[in-house]
Amino acid sequence: MRARALAAGMLWPLLSGAFGLALWQGLVKLFEVPVFLLPAPTDVIETIVDKWPYLLSQLAITVMAAGLGLVMSVVLGLAAGAAIAGSRFVDRILTPWLVVAHAIPKVVIAPLFLVWFGFGLQSEMFFVVAFTFFPVIVNTVTGLKSADPEQLLMVRAMGATRLQVLHKIQFPSALASICAGIKLAVTLAPVGAVIGEFVASNAGLGHLLIRAVGDTDTSLAFAAVTVFSIFGVLLWRAAEWVERLVLPWHPSQRETLMLRDATT
Amino acid sequence: MLFACSRHDNDFIRGSEGFRLMAAAGESIVLDGVEKTYGGANGVRAIAPLSAELRAGEAVSIVGPSGCGKSTLLRLIAGLDAPSRGTIRIGTTPVSGPVPDIGIVFQRDLLLEWRSVLGNVLLPAEIKRLAGLETRASELLQELDVAGFAKSYPWQLSGGMRQRVAIARALLTRPALLFLDEPFSALDALTRDQMNVLLQRLQTTQHVTTLLITHSISEAIFCADRVLVMSGRPGALLDDIRVPFERPRRLAVRETPEFTAIGRRIREHFEKAGVLVG
Repeated sequence: MRARALAAGMLWPLLSGAFGLALWQGLVKLFEVPVFLLPAPTDVIETIVDKWPYLLSQLAITVMAAGLGLVMSVVLGLAAGAAIAGSRFVDRILTPWLVVAHAIPKVVIAPLFLVWFGFGLQSEMFFVVAFTFFPVIVNTVTGLKSADPEQLLMVRAMGATRLQVLHKIQFPSALASICAGIKLAVTLAPVGAVIGEFVASNAGLGHLLIRAVGDTDTSLAFAAVTVFSIFGVLLWRAAEWVERLVLPWHPSQRETLMLRDATT
Repeated sequence: MLFACSRHDNDFIRGSEGFRLMAAAGESIVLDGVEKTYGGANGVRAIAPLSAELRAGEAVSIVGPSGCGKSTLLRLIAGLDAPSRGTIRIGTTPVSGPVPDIGIVFQRDLLLEWRSVLGNVLLPAEIKRLAGLETRASELLQELDVAGFAKSYPWQLSGGMRQRVAIARALLTRPALLFLDEPFSALDALTRDQMNVLLQRLQTTQHVTTLLITHSISEAIFCADRVLVMSGRPGALLDDIRVPFERPRRLAVRETPEFTAIGRRIREHFEKAGVLVG
């Protein structure tokens, strides 16, 4: 019953996708578009299959940079967010810097990272951090500050220490907001990594992309973009899955929970 | 302000632990000339000098109009705020900082949505670092007729059930005083009657000194051994009425002439003060 409903839900998106690809393929073949201008989907698939090990090895490098940067961003963002939410003094000192830092167009200063951190993974990683820390901090601060004042009064009356208030009330209240910030960061991290590779690396999907375009190997560029996009979607899915694990009680997750209960 | 707990407060918790465990039968609460003014000498006077004594195990209601200083009184008794004048004692211990030995039930149940019912009831034990209260938590849920929901989450419960859980949470550490701040005013009338019966049953089994703040005259009488009538701001004591009915009480007691006579006496205070115009 449930499988059938799922199949029905997937039918139209799949048909739509297949139609788009077929149209693309037909037009390219009909007008005999040269492959360096626009490769047909079959060319792209062929390239992906041919160069799969190579693409995978380059993806791994991008994933590494994005993943490490993301972890650093989340750790930094949570710590800074907690400090800002916990102290008005820290808020006043730190927040202006954050806003200015975020306002700087990061793509433009990417070459500076090359100068500061050298060629390779380290540069990429810090670039990912620069790209992703802001949503994490902002959402952490908002979340921590939006705890129910009466719940805070209640635990204070129970004699909670500052750390207990943070741990028992503020952090759980902020979790939904923090998850939203991390999901934003998750979508930004691979983009940051690829831009970092454009500028400061001789490996990774970003570097591959630049080189493929330089060599007018457009099929390879499309293959890289395809692999990259699939990775982005999978990463988003993973983030949603983690969110559901962490927030089973949250209103945003309840409906799915009840549906699952009803069907199993 | 949220983080105002100092190291001193922690010492306070540790020091009062033994006392808390002995205080199963409740403690007497003494308000001695308590006065509260906000904002300096010419500020708003929330409570006029107020003296009252709650004997150990006694159930007392405070009934008064909005703005009679009841929230202020809660903050004072809970030690979250200091009186401008006068002293408050729970048992022999003067209230001098946060964490006097009281359990509070608010108008909103304030259950933590991310914790199970049992997890919510055990919250005070975690915060006060008291171990071995799991059995008591289960017993309290049993007594409040929500034992079947120990593993449920708050959003799966009705309003009345949620408030029962909140009461269990307040009673967990056997506080010297159970402070109820308009606990049933968000519930429908039938549920509210049911909770009134439940509360006065609890007072018999838990022997806890109870202070109930309410706007409902009939609730104030039904749930208490004594009703304190408060005036509007600044809050002052207008009357102190003994409620003679035996326990356990049934809802039918509300229709007796004695009950209506007490109700009339309270109503007349409010009419005289201009709070009620009948």
